Amino acid sequence: MKISRLLATLGIIGTGHGASAEELIVNSYGGPYEDIIRERIIAPFEHQFGVTVIYDAVGSASQDYAKIKATAGRPGFDVVVMTAAQSLDGCRDGLLEPLTPDAVSNIAALDPNVRAMAGECGAVHELQYLSLVWRKDKLPVAPTSWSALLDDGLKGRVILPTFQNVMAAYLVEVMSVSHGGDLLDDIGPGFEATAKLAKHSIGFEQASAVMENYIKDGRAWAMPFWNGRAQLLMDSGIPIDYVRPKEGTVPLIATLNVPKGSENKDLALKFVNFWLEKTSQEAWVTGYKVGSARPDIDVPDDVRARQITTEADLKALLLPDLTELSKRLPEWGARWEREVVTQAR
Amino acid sequence: MSSIETLSALRQPTHLPVRLSRYFPLAPPLIVLMIAFAIPMGMMIGLSFHDADTGILTLDNYVRFFGDDLMLAGLWRTALMSGLVALCVTVMAYPVAYYLARSTSRWRVVVFALAITPELAGVVLRTYGWLVILEDHGAINNLLTWSGLISEPLPLSKNLIGVVIGLTHVVLPFGILSLLTSIQGIDPNLERAAQILGSSRVSIIRHIILPLSVPGIVSSLLIAFTMAASAYATPALLGGAGFKVIATMVYEQVLFYIDWPFAAVMAVILLVMMLTIAFIGARVEARLHRKLHI
Repeated sequence: MKISRLLATLGIIGTGHGASAEELIVNSYGGPYEDIIRERIIAPFEHQFGVTVIYDAVGSASQDYAKIKATAGRPGFDVVVMTAAQSLDGCRDGLLEPLTPDAVSNIAALDPNVRAMAGECGAVHELQYLSLVWRKDKLPVAPTSWSALLDDGLKGRVILPTFQNVMAAYLVEVMSVSHGGDLLDDIGPGFEATAKLAKHSIGFEQASAVMENYIKDGRAWAMPFWNGRAQLLMDSGIPIDYVRPKEGTVPLIATLNVPKGSENKDLALKFVNFWLEKTSQEAWVTGYKVGSARPDIDVPDDVRARQITTEADLKALLLPDLTELSKRLPEWGARWEREVVTQAR
Repeated sequence: MSSIETLSALRQPTHLPVRLSRYFPLAPPLIVLMIAFAIPMGMMIGLSFHDADTGILTLDNYVRFFGDDLMLAGLWRTALMSGLVALCVTVMAYPVAYYLARSTSRWRVVVFALAITPELAGVVLRTYGWLVILEDHGAINNLLTWSGLISEPLPLSKNLIGVVIGLTHVVLPFGILSLLTSIQGIDPNLERAAQILGSSRVSIIRHIILPLSVPGIVSSLLIAFTMAASAYATPALLGGAGFKVIATMVYEQVLFYIDWPFAAVMAVILLVMMLTIAFIGARVEARLHRKLHI
């Protein structure tokens, strides 16, 4: 009896987890994200396919990718939520499964430009954008431009991300476009403007969740932030609002990925396809308050007005070359340390 | 064959197994160290000589490190921070360790528990505790502002001061334990003899206790230095964006830039720095021993 128990335990340890063929391990985020994904995506998937999904909320997208790389594509989960940047890197390194329309039929329904940005290993299941969040009870008028962050009225009232949050690189890009530069080659104006912004900011925080605290308790009156999380804050009753500034903005392209060594590859591909279904996309967009790369979804007008849901919305986005951006990150990171961080108090 | 030859021939085969058997207890820890330390360390050193994209052997990663002022600033910051923590820990740990070694009071147990209990809470939890105390709107600044002593918050966090305070708290128990063992090894009769001969308390400490506890002092300095130099959570949380040390820079290279060979270079340089400090510490200790005729 004892020996059989020991062998069973060793069997579980040996496989790294206890997943059977009818169990799928999905790695994603915790917090409000987890509640919504469980209700809107995982429960209907389990019901339709008669399987069990094990939810793993440990790690950010970059940490998950590092785990995939360290284990040569066998990280212990079957599906992972990352971003287009990791999708491109993982595809290039041969660590992620290509997601072709043959394997995931709903891929064909995605906007081709956005799909191309994530490469052939990433299934874009969600779009957010870098928005300008502001406190309605502190600022008399809604800001309309990224330059509003530099207004004297916001001195000591803006919180910025550290460069290790990809939001920082996108902020430099939108500041660049706002000040006569572009998204990659002529990025100088972006760094100059961000350095000025750092000078009158409160400082820097790496985690989005920590940045949230500053705007929640009123220490910050404005900040760059992902619009989906901003919407959740708004819905929780915090007196904030967010805008898509007139100069345009950069999207955060969230992707579903299947590691090359996934143990339940067929089920993983079914899960990816399920999340890209029209009805699943509608459930996700209305639940998590984000945009979709499927232009054919039907969502209420108030959601459509704020999210990226139409071809016109998609065309208005500033789309950086993520592969090129990834190559320039070390150089930009050093520049950020020299030109931006040194300006903060 | 003579009886002596016969005897030695009979004994000889038993010598080798007896000699080998002495080393058997060492085998398990050696195997564990080999698998968990030596092999990964060797892999890391090897990785540092590879190009991140092509995988070819190169010295470029080291050239890049030593040619980049940001990297050198990070290395200097790490050394300065670790040195300050080592000093603070040893200076603060010494009186506590001395009290614990010599006291017979019932409060000794309470002091010992107070010295060690911080280790029961996780380092992240303790660091967040310090953040709450030290930040601009933290307990200290709020109290000083409320009392009218300051009008602007003192810069106690997001800088070197905050990190040194946080790390000193984290490492202090190790300094105390290290010094305690050393002081407990000093014969109390030496102090009694000095007292009988008319030495003052200060004189006893200066001429007897301090010299005899040099091994403990060096050990405390080295333990605190190496623990501070390799600490990640405290510098990351209390240092802020402008305070990068090698450990936080390694984290960035591994997880954000995905440049593992360059991260390995940083780790190797950190290791070399710590080994150099350990070597210097051992030499200083040996020299002091000779000088003090211990």
